[in-house]
Amino acid sequence: MGNVMKKSMIALLPIVIITMTGCATNSNKASDATKQANGEAAVTAAPSNSTGENKQELVVVSQEIAASLDPVKPITSSYLRLIGAGEALFKVNAEGKVEPELAESATEVDATTWEIVLRPEVRFWSGKQIDADAVIASLERSRSLDLQALPFLKELTFSKVDDHRIQVRTSREHLPVPLNLSYYQTLIHNAEAAHDAEATMDLSGMYKVVEFAPKQKMVLELNDNYWREKPSIRRVVFEEITDEQTRVLSGLGGRSHVVLNVPVTSLAQFNSNSELALEAAPAANTQTVYLNLKQEQLADIKVRQALSWAVNREELVVLAAEGQSFPVATWLSSNPAYAQARTAVYDKFDPDKAAELLDEAGWSLGPDGIRYKDGNALTLRLMTWGGDKALGEALQNQWSLIGVKAEVRHGDYSLIETARQSGDWDASIEAWSTFGDEYALLAGQYAPSGSANYGGFDDAQTNEMLSKLEKASDDATRSEISYRINERVAQQAPVISLFPRPQITAVNKSLKGFEAHFRQFENVVNGHLALDSE
Amino acid sequence: MSTLNAKRPVGLAVGVVILGFLAIAILGASWLSPYDPLKQQVSERLQKPSVEHPLGTDRFGRDVLSRTLHGGKNTLLASISALGAALAIGLVIGLVAGMYHGSILDTLLMRLIDVLLAFPFMVLAMILAALFGTSLLHLLIAVVSVWWVSFARLTRSVVLHAKSEVSFAAARVLGASNGTIICRELLPKAISPVLIMATFELGSLILSIAALSFLGLGAQPPSPEWGSMLSDGRDHFMQAPHILLGPALFIVLTVLAFNLIGEGLRDKLDPYEKSEL
Amino acid sequence: MYKNLMRKMLWACLTLFCATLILFVLIRLAPGDPIRLLLGPPADVAMIDTEAYDRKVNELRAHHGLDQPIVVQYVSWMKRLLQFELGASIHTGRDVGAEMMDRLPVTMLLSIAALALQIVLGLFFGTVSALRAGKVQDQAIRLACVTIASTPSFALGLVLLSFFAVTLGAYEISSDAGITRLWLPAATLGLMGAPPFIRIIRANLLSELGRTYVLSALSRGLDRKRVVRHALRNALLPLITLVALSLTMLVSGAVVIESIFSWPGIGKYALDSILLKDYPVIQGYALVMISVAILIHLLVDVVYAIMDPRIGRNREADLHEYA
Repeated sequence: MGNVMKKSMIALLPIVIITMTGCATNSNKASDATKQANGEAAVTAAPSNSTGENKQELVVVSQEIAASLDPVKPITSSYLRLIGAGEALFKVNAEGKVEPELAESATEVDATTWEIVLRPEVRFWSGKQIDADAVIASLERSRSLDLQALPFLKELTFSKVDDHRIQVRTSREHLPVPLNLSYYQTLIHNAEAAHDAEATMDLSGMYKVVEFAPKQKMVLELNDNYWREKPSIRRVVFEEITDEQTRVLSGLGGRSHVVLNVPVTSLAQFNSNSELALEAAPAANTQTVYLNLKQEQLADIKVRQALSWAVNREELVVLAAEGQSFPVATWLSSNPAYAQARTAVYDKFDPDKAAELLDEAGWSLGPDGIRYKDGNALTLRLMTWGGDKALGEALQNQWSLIGVKAEVRHGDYSLIETARQSGDWDASIEAWSTFGDEYALLAGQYAPSGSANYGGFDDAQTNEMLSKLEKASDDATRSEISYRINERVAQQAPVISLFPRPQITAVNKSLKGFEAHFRQFENVVNGHLALDSE
Repeated sequence: MSTLNAKRPVGLAVGVVILGFLAIAILGASWLSPYDPLKQQVSERLQKPSVEHPLGTDRFGRDVLSRTLHGGKNTLLASISALGAALAIGLVIGLVAGMYHGSILDTLLMRLIDVLLAFPFMVLAMILAALFGTSLLHLLIAVVSVWWVSFARLTRSVVLHAKSEVSFAAARVLGASNGTIICRELLPKAISPVLIMATFELGSLILSIAALSFLGLGAQPPSPEWGSMLSDGRDHFMQAPHILLGPALFIVLTVLAFNLIGEGLRDKLDPYEKSEL
Repeated sequence: MYKNLMRKMLWACLTLFCATLILFVLIRLAPGDPIRLLLGPPADVAMIDTEAYDRKVNELRAHHGLDQPIVVQYVSWMKRLLQFELGASIHTGRDVGAEMMDRLPVTMLLSIAALALQIVLGLFFGTVSALRAGKVQDQAIRLACVTIASTPSFALGLVLLSFFAVTLGAYEISSDAGITRLWLPAATLGLMGAPPFIRIIRANLLSELGRTYVLSALSRGLDRKRVVRHALRNALLPLITLVALSLTMLVSGAVVIESIFSWPGIGKYALDSILLKDYPVIQGYALVMISVAILIHLLVDVVYAIMDPRIGRNREADLHEYA
């Protein structure tokens, strides 16, 4: 027995040694972190790099980072913009207004023509000037290689006027070109450079990528030749931590300064922590239940309206968003400019009205609490993906109270896409952005050819209003028509709007100059950032 | 050292008692549950264990104890049927492979086993889910298609051992057909170690079902099931860890009971020594 | 013995070929189009009409060879394979081989560390449990085993992470794969995988100790420790199969633990590629994993042949038994 013990001890020894080493190298961190936990003054960004010197370093963690350095690869440009590596011609500020970024100004020459003036002083990292040729080359490259840039660039034609001026012709009238060119998919990059390695990539932002491990870590250093105000932080580390609770722990542990995509279910953990501030700028998007109008039970408008009346949106906000959102009864109203319509049409939770509508539609309540018509039960297959399982379960419960037998099918998004292609689906939950050009948004959702019009909604009145919206020439008309479309669609109920998805970011108090933004996913690093040092 | 050969009937008895208690709790769920397991009560969500709710409430305000009791039926029914199916398939294949050892059939089967073992379980389950569906039945099919392997290997090694014994040679000499040998000689020898292995595998099976629930496979809402209760409770785990207490406790008790029974049975039946795996 | 090994290798290649073919066909039959998935779930703005998009999608499908019949696709994949090229990922455009080389060693590091701990814990507690069978220590160890085996991995992982990283500040949460960050996920995995080892060593040691040769040796007055050591050595042989099994499972990626400790291994990579239907990646991953598994099993055969000299021609059955 003794010998076996001895043998095991000897075997354990290397493990113990490794553990001790691991703990030892982290002991510096331990003392820093315990100081923080004791509420003392915030500590500098811990030097976790191998240079050893105490350089200032900003650590940002997110659910996902780029898989590639090429701005035309899926979603890559949003990360490049988020972390300050890339810029577009225009940018949307925190108040929702479009302002110039790489461009200097934009003027609407006539109904289908705009002229954009570029800044003469802007350059790529390589030193190459960002002139009209470079901009057009970049945009054309995005147009031909980036699937996600299509919605914004499809209707635009670019031509060079001179070195610093570009003419843009649009296929429909009064298209808001600066808005289209503010999306991250239109990021300006050097089309002649090879964007497959850190050394050869060429963008224009305030930070240059110096190290990159795809879907793992990106390290950036300050671009000394940046054309305007630079932050004082020299290094930025951008890391991917996919597990949401681990992300939260990395913020609580003091290592990360900015934690993106904080899940609502972890908010309670921040109560005892005084180092982190939570920014909950509501995102402009709407969690919506899309209904398949081709299904027999959903073809009847009364059924759809009943489903919408039977939803207790306040309760859903508590159950699925932990109270970090607000109910919206109509789709567009999560956009702050249309906030008046938040309680339009479905102004309260009304299960009695829902029951009445269902009775009128011929669905009568059976002894088992489910409604029947011609021997068929009123069933609904609700497909959810991502983090929406709880939302689906809550809806299932609410609808069961008016006699609808709902089934929740939770899985991967690809399963939902496949079901929609085959037509064999009833309802699914998604959240599209509600900020942008109203015509593009509403047509994409409710026009018969819109790619988000999953249910086959084709309403003459809506179509008429959409074509009027297309031709609208001033903001007031646009706003009015949009309100009317929004209301009409809510009444027709091809979709059921619920609430905007919460967007929560945790920011360490030692970081100054952070700006909360309703499009936080492309706005983290800005020129005013500074880290407190001890 | 003198304790080595001492019989330990105590373990077996304890195991049976725990199993009995679980069986009563689960079969009598409809009478024993203080609340409706499906009723959502928003005002009472995420409550800690208290007198009103002995195991607390979940994110929808549902009573965890009631859900655990009702969920036991789903979980145990699912895992026991999966185990039974895997056992049956494994036995048959193991018997055949062992009986015709050295032939092409045996080699093919062993290669098939290699491939299945090499395939990460989650990967296989996801592909099957994408192809066929995500219901509880599909989950069980995914589970069975991987779990039969260890039973097959065990059966096969038992058969190979048995083939070197006198009784086997005697049966051969007496002219018994292969089928008779399989049924009369090999099957009885293989059943007890396999059954004992099954009792140990049950715990891992329940947890595998729980792991698959993360991918959306298995019991669909709102039916309670221990595995999906565990995966649903993950979101709030740091904030309200008590949600997991209910299903976790019952899983531990179930696994403990089956393990004790398995070990007790093994002591009683004195089976093949090295035939773990 | 060498002829045997050669035969086994031949069968291994055949297995590999069949398995990859089946997988190849299966993933293409499963619903979901990798090109459409490139666009991802709902983003900013829906398109007003999808004509230009559809055209692009068809172009990309042709570019990746997805519009050709499955047989043709398989043949071209095979051809590239013979040149040691695994193809390029549909999602990232990077070479699959390079991406796997980034992640596989990382997972292997974690697997080996975890396995070492599992073996050590198994040896230690299994032996203690067997020698104190029926007593308090034994019951306590067995209860602990059942509890650990029934705990969901994410719960254990999160609790340990929270304690060491936040409360103590002794562990760094980042996405690096350094030695300094290895100990906690390895310890968690090792702890979670130890119960089967403990149980098997205990059972085998117990039965070994009950054998005639042990009792006769003891009755002849041989040193107790030596007898136990000898019994232990014999009891360990079947363990090798468990080691192989455990290693295979670990290498194919402990997805949950890797995700919680943000350990950039191959588990999550594989899972994501399945969700995205990234065919070249799935195929490459399956190929590598099945090869690794077959290799491990071949190694097990060799180890058995070396370690147990009792296995001669007559006992070839035993050799196959553990194969």
